[in-house]
Amino acid sequence: MNIPKQPISQRILKYTLTTAIIFASLWSAAGLEITIERILDAPRQIGILVGAMFPLDTSQEAIDRIIPKVFESLFIAWAGTVIGAIFSFPVSFLAAQNVAVGAVSRITKQILNAIRAFPELILAFVFLPITGLGAFTGTLALGIHSIGTLGKLSSEVIEGIDEGPLEAIKSSGGSKINELIFGVIPQVMPTITSYWLYRFEINLRASAVLGVIGAGGVGQELINQLRFRDFPRAGTVLICTIVLVLIADAISASIRNRIIQGKVVKS
Amino acid sequence: MINLPKKPPPSYLVTIGIPFAMLFTVFSFQRVGFNLQDFRENLANRAIVTDPLFNPKWSWAWENTADAMIETVQIAILASIVGCALALPLSFYASRATNLNKYSYFLYKSFLNLVRTIPDLFWAMLFTVAVGIGPFAGVLALIMFSLAIMGKLLSETIDSIDPGPMEAAKATGSTHNQTVFTSALPQVLPNFTAYFLYIFELCIRASVILGLVGAGGVGRIIETQRIFLRFDRISPIIVIILVVVILIEQFSVWIRRKIL
Repeated sequence: MNIPKQPISQRILKYTLTTAIIFASLWSAAGLEITIERILDAPRQIGILVGAMFPLDTSQEAIDRIIPKVFESLFIAWAGTVIGAIFSFPVSFLAAQNVAVGAVSRITKQILNAIRAFPELILAFVFLPITGLGAFTGTLALGIHSIGTLGKLSSEVIEGIDEGPLEAIKSSGGSKINELIFGVIPQVMPTITSYWLYRFEINLRASAVLGVIGAGGVGQELINQLRFRDFPRAGTVLICTIVLVLIADAISASIRNRIIQGKVVKS
Repeated sequence: MINLPKKPPPSYLVTIGIPFAMLFTVFSFQRVGFNLQDFRENLANRAIVTDPLFNPKWSWAWENTADAMIETVQIAILASIVGCALALPLSFYASRATNLNKYSYFLYKSFLNLVRTIPDLFWAMLFTVAVGIGPFAGVLALIMFSLAIMGKLLSETIDSIDPGPMEAAKATGSTHNQTVFTSALPQVLPNFTAYFLYIFELCIRASVILGLVGAGGVGRIIETQRIFLRFDRISPIIVIILVVVILIEQFSVWIRRKIL
């Protein structure tokens, strides 16, 4: 059988990349002092930890402590997302090339990039001395980070719109404001709303983590229980978090589907 | 008068959902203690952070962060490679197009979903307890992190592949495994490469904060300085991290353009 061979340049690229990947992982493993024994021993050690978590601590006292913390994470995530959505919405119009003037769009985009570059946790400990230990700090950190990410995504949606409706409004004598309200917003709203919900899913995970530095939420509870070696209770915290995230994800995903795909019309 | 068709009535999603969302918003803001009054009063405290933050001690940062920064990059490299390599076979089992067994499909899919619900720092905390403090725990945590993302992205890509080549392979009498190897795998390899680079960038960002819970990397130094409120030492570290992250992203954009 006569199969054409891969061009030589592609084969060279393939082999170089494979070597590079193998070399990079060996270099990393050596630098981090990861040995075969440690890798082989890890499953046993993880097994011990998981074994120590069961049976879960379901005493009334534990539940009373954990459930409010889990819900606090939910509230932080939602409030953070709302802050991000409210502020990123007008900003995204300023950042979109086809709506704002070139210079304004470029400057706004750079600002959004700068906001996005800081992880939520770093923002959170800048806010700690101002807002104190608690949920408010986490909310602000998530909100500000969300302005950066949502602003970028929304401005990209606005840049991708169909220009036809805008022309139609212009030719019927509509002003620039009319173009925005009747031409741009109806086109971008479904996608932007679904991005807001998507961001909420991400923020829910992030807010669970924020507790590690004392910015509220369930992370605090988990790290405390692990420090005190109270593994059954840590297990309960973990399971409660998983259940909350699964439920919130499912609701958010079904609303997103409904918004993007529209209602299924039975004929 | 123009005769417009009647507007359809709004769906329940709008009539019930929006008021509910607003109520929930108000409730959430109350519960997180949203209070601009306090915020304005305590704004004077910002000097504790912002003054040292804008007086960076560069010499200190140069001397002390290089090793930890390299460790961070190494954690990200190793974890993204191993995580994505593990996710490659798993995604084929977690896709309806390539896994014909309904039950095992459901099992693999649920496993990936479960891994995805646990945040990266939670994995790091659990692994530091299980295998001890240090970068090994961080690598394991990010392996789970990249496994979850790659599993989701890739299995959804496999769901939507073109069934034509698979049918062709089946028609020539190949077994199921041969079909998957020769007709499904080559279709998703370009996506796999693109996702891998994306996940590598995410891992770099994630590995920065792993040190906060003792899982190695540059976060370890941030955490020790943060406890002593030495923000003058933290701000140069943050700048160094930003520069490294941006350089690595540019590098990954360059590779993407080269091979895709």
